Amino acid sequence: MDGYLDGELDPITSQKIEQHLGDCRKCKEAYETHAALAHAINRGAPYYKASSELHQRVQSSLRDTMAATAARDTVRENHLLGARPRARRRPVVPEIPWTWLGLAAAIILAAIVGSNLLPRLRQPTTDQFLATQLIASHVRSLMANHLTDVASSDQHTVKPWLDTKLDFAAPVVDLSGEGFPLIGGRLDYLDNHPVAALVYQRRKHFINLFVWPATADTNKAQKTITRQGYNLLHWADADFNYWAVSDVSARNLLTFKQLVEEQVLHR
Amino acid sequence: MVLPFKTKHASETQDSEAPRKIVKFTVVEKTQADHAGRTDLAVFEQTMLPHLDAAHNLARWLVRNEQDAQDIVQEAYLRAFKSFDGFRGANGRAWLLTIVRNTSYTLLKRNHAVDLTTAFDEEVHAAGHESVNPAMILERAEDADLLRNAIDRLPAEFREILTLRHQEDLSYKEIGDILKIPTGTVMSRLARARARLREYLTT
Repeated sequence: MDGYLDGELDPITSQKIEQHLGDCRKCKEAYETHAALAHAINRGAPYYKASSELHQRVQSSLRDTMAATAARDTVRENHLLGARPRARRRPVVPEIPWTWLGLAAAIILAAIVGSNLLPRLRQPTTDQFLATQLIASHVRSLMANHLTDVASSDQHTVKPWLDTKLDFAAPVVDLSGEGFPLIGGRLDYLDNHPVAALVYQRRKHFINLFVWPATADTNKAQKTITRQGYNLLHWADADFNYWAVSDVSARNLLTFKQLVEEQVLHR
Repeated sequence: MVLPFKTKHASETQDSEAPRKIVKFTVVEKTQADHAGRTDLAVFEQTMLPHLDAAHNLARWLVRNEQDAQDIVQEAYLRAFKSFDGFRGANGRAWLLTIVRNTSYTLLKRNHAVDLTTAFDEEVHAAGHESVNPAMILERAEDADLLRNAIDRLPAEFREILTLRHQEDLSYKEIGDILKIPTGTVMSRLARARARLREYLTT
């Protein structure tokens, strides 16, 4: 009877039971009591949800574990490679020094160009400077523990959190179905305003989507910049500026942009 | 992790060409592992954090106090993270709940609070059907406190199977996977659990 109630019996047996219940009143009554009790349990038994403190607690303990594992592996790694001089001379994370040098050069260059050619090349220079800030923010976020301020793949958790911290309501969309899961949100400061940084993932890469309110003179045309191996994509709609920064291919970023636009439109 | 294996292989090689290649490979591997470590955590959190409520609910019903339930959930997530490499299935919730269940039983046994399968006899309920007033049972089941107390009195294995079926809506197959029993046993155990609950509701 329980199997029938739970819909877990094969069709033939189910059919037989159904027929019997039609014929036998006593069994039918017993079944109805049984079914009613089951539904009462469904409704009545308290469901103990986890508190938000427990959420935080679990997330911190996972981070701590990962940091501890990484540290332990680094120690073990250096230990094992100690016998090979060649290995010791190689930097552990090659890109970082290069990127900072590149950034420094870009900033100096932007400053020189800006001061000399400001009247004639205002718009592109501003863009280049902004691009520098965007890349810096993106790279900083990828360094340990700076990726998100609110880590959640649920847009209904991330959006309210950001809304309370900023004076605008950033559109947060969920693209996990299309292969760009939301990792979380972060506060940042770019181009002289506080901005929302929405972090998405594409396979093993991260995309930072920076969003802040558009003004009347915001250029709504799509812009792409490629620098230091990063692709930056800009677009704007009536309400917001969007800048997507990532090391994924320009084509993937374009797909990402289209998905975001679509979802924002349908909210 | 693959890393230690590669290094061991490198140390065994005498060829002068090979160490250079392998060291290079190893270093790149480590960089990827760094990045992969962070990504693994992100993927793990994305797959498993949505089941936090389910994990907490199961733990709470099994150990019957909030403090222990929270400790168990934290412990279970750590264990899950550590063995995430071995998880190949699509049913993250069932996999996680299995870990939560095992962690809960470890605690219960340590505290000698196990009330597992003491009275699994079926004969007790044979007479249950006719003599009970259905309306009264329902009325009592609607009372959340009464229901909670009745469920808390059940043996652990009855509590967990009722939670998994009624609160998590898992199929017999999924429940069987978690409890490591065949689906036929799931059905009969569920029937006995419900019968016993009915009994507790009317006494």
